[in-house]
Amino acid sequence: MSAADKVRINKLPTGVPGLDEILGGGLPEFSFNIIAGAPGSGKTTLAHQILFANATPERPALYFTILGEPAIKMLRYQQQYTFFDQAKLNNAVRFINLSQVVLEKDLDAVLQEITKEVEKASPGIVVVDSFRTVVRKALGRTTEVELQSFIQRLALLLTSWQATTFLVGEYVEGEIRDNPVFTVSDGLLWLYQAPERNSIVRKLQIVKLRGQASVPGLHTFRITSAGLQAFSRTLGLAGQARKIPSTRRLSIGIPELDKMLGGGIPEGDSILVAGASGTGKSVLATQFIAEGIRQGDPGIVVVFEERPQEYAERAGSFGLDLKTPRNEKKLEILYLRPLDLSVDETMHEILDAVQKIGAKRLVIDSLAGFEMALAPGFRADFRESLYRMITALTGVGVTILSTVEVNESFTEFPFSTYSISFLTDDIIRLRYVCIDGQLRKIMVVIKMRGGNHSKDIREYEITSKGVVIVGDRLTDYQGLITGIPVRLNRSGNNEKQLT
Amino acid sequence: MSLPESRYLAQRLLTYEAVAGKNSETTESAAFRVCAKLRRPLITLAGVAGFRSLLSRALTLARAEAPGLSAVQIAADGSLQGLDEMEPQIGKDQAREGGAILIAQLIGLLLTFIGEGLTLSMVQTVWPEAAFDGRVFEKERKA
Repeated sequence: MSAADKVRINKLPTGVPGLDEILGGGLPEFSFNIIAGAPGSGKTTLAHQILFANATPERPALYFTILGEPAIKMLRYQQQYTFFDQAKLNNAVRFINLSQVVLEKDLDAVLQEITKEVEKASPGIVVVDSFRTVVRKALGRTTEVELQSFIQRLALLLTSWQATTFLVGEYVEGEIRDNPVFTVSDGLLWLYQAPERNSIVRKLQIVKLRGQASVPGLHTFRITSAGLQAFSRTLGLAGQARKIPSTRRLSIGIPELDKMLGGGIPEGDSILVAGASGTGKSVLATQFIAEGIRQGDPGIVVVFEERPQEYAERAGSFGLDLKTPRNEKKLEILYLRPLDLSVDETMHEILDAVQKIGAKRLVIDSLAGFEMALAPGFRADFRESLYRMITALTGVGVTILSTVEVNESFTEFPFSTYSISFLTDDIIRLRYVCIDGQLRKIMVVIKMRGGNHSKDIREYEITSKGVVIVGDRLTDYQGLITGIPVRLNRSGNNEKQLT
Repeated sequence: MSLPESRYLAQRLLTYEAVAGKNSETTESAAFRVCAKLRRPLITLAGVAGFRSLLSRALTLARAEAPGLSAVQIAADGSLQGLDEMEPQIGKDQAREGGAILIAQLIGLLLTFIGEGLTLSMVQTVWPEAAFDGRVFEKERKA
């Protein structure tokens, strides 16, 4: 069977930003789905969002309410969301209360009532909220076989009438095995919410979806006045074509350092600048972004410890004008200090900014600040999400410079306390060193995945022009990277450095 | 006391149904007819129990303003009973006023719970030939 012979399954939009991508393009048309979760997890809001996104007067949406939240109250609350379009009510969106039928009659009568309304309206979308109530009520007086038969007939009816169906219910995970409704359903969307320390973490999972490949795993989501917004684990970058690797080298804005890097940073690399507090990591990062702007590469700076205005002003003190490119939308300085955001939500904000201005360079200053800005419950996912974002962005040619603070030790030379060195192609290490009774600074290129680099250890200073490398490589000392070097006596005797 | 907006809308519905009633052979009061017409979409939306709860609340509130409504009852199916029997006991004007207050209270509850937009949308569905839109309240608000 060729691809052309296969039936094409249309995909309906959910109206939930990010969810279509997680579903693999949208909701399969005419599918029979379950929206499950605990009370307060957002099931009804999700159902409404789908409803309003798809309902038209020609193919209306029917919302059957059953012994759950009273319909009047549901309308009272749901109309607060921006997606709730009052003009669609009674025309494209119709609410029908089936509580009495469920209470007083049997499953056949419920099916009869639904059939009557479906045949009358020819709906494109049908929601039954809460379907669990129907099942619970029925369980007392019907056999399991009768219940399964009812669910199957309901699915058959709604599919035959070309409706995409959503059964909303407060289920717990243990029910998946024994409940016939899960067997019959084509799709199962599970919503979770759990407190993690002082934050609430909302996640959703596409447990099952017939006919198309959804993104597996748990995805965070948020409920705002606009309804649900989902953040895919793949950050919306799944399947994105990777750019052919570039041979271009990007100047970091410090000519001597460019030479040490073998001509600059290979475009599309992730570079880590590690050093103790005050070693000039942020200044170096600012020089990198300013040099990019100068060469026509739009850039994004993500900061966590100072406001964008302060950041731009500090750059000005080094003769780097960030205000003009900001006004010209060639540079965006993102200040992320939300503290209760999920890691994926934060990554999405960065990705949106990158896409908005077509950024070629991205600075994350710093990784420690980034991690601290997240809600405690999300910090465990930090490295995994950071890895996904860096891989995806560098794959499309964005060059990323991240700074990381390391504890200065005079016995060790750690690259990073965050064990995120695996995320980077290149590493520059800055450190303090005691020389001639002064606390001076040295830098060294530790690693460059893309090729050869200088092995020199160079002294640098932070001047009014930013980071400036001074002099040639330090050849008169041994043990520079320990921070307590020993001056080499060319006559053969080493002399302990007095500090 | 019902809101001026709900009183105004109630009055317009009653006037509309009074005219419609004259042209038909039915003898029910305009208030009974308005209530019966609103009952249908509200039962579809909220169920019989939901509609009865709303109407009971409206009747209780209306009785405080029109004690003559004490004889009015709500049947199990949500229909009003005793509204038309009220007239011989308390007089035509008071019966009409009581009916108007009851409808105003019912609309007032809808305005409180689901807001102006959805209430008017429902009214529009029931009386599609009548021009009821957001402007019905403008005059009252300005006043």
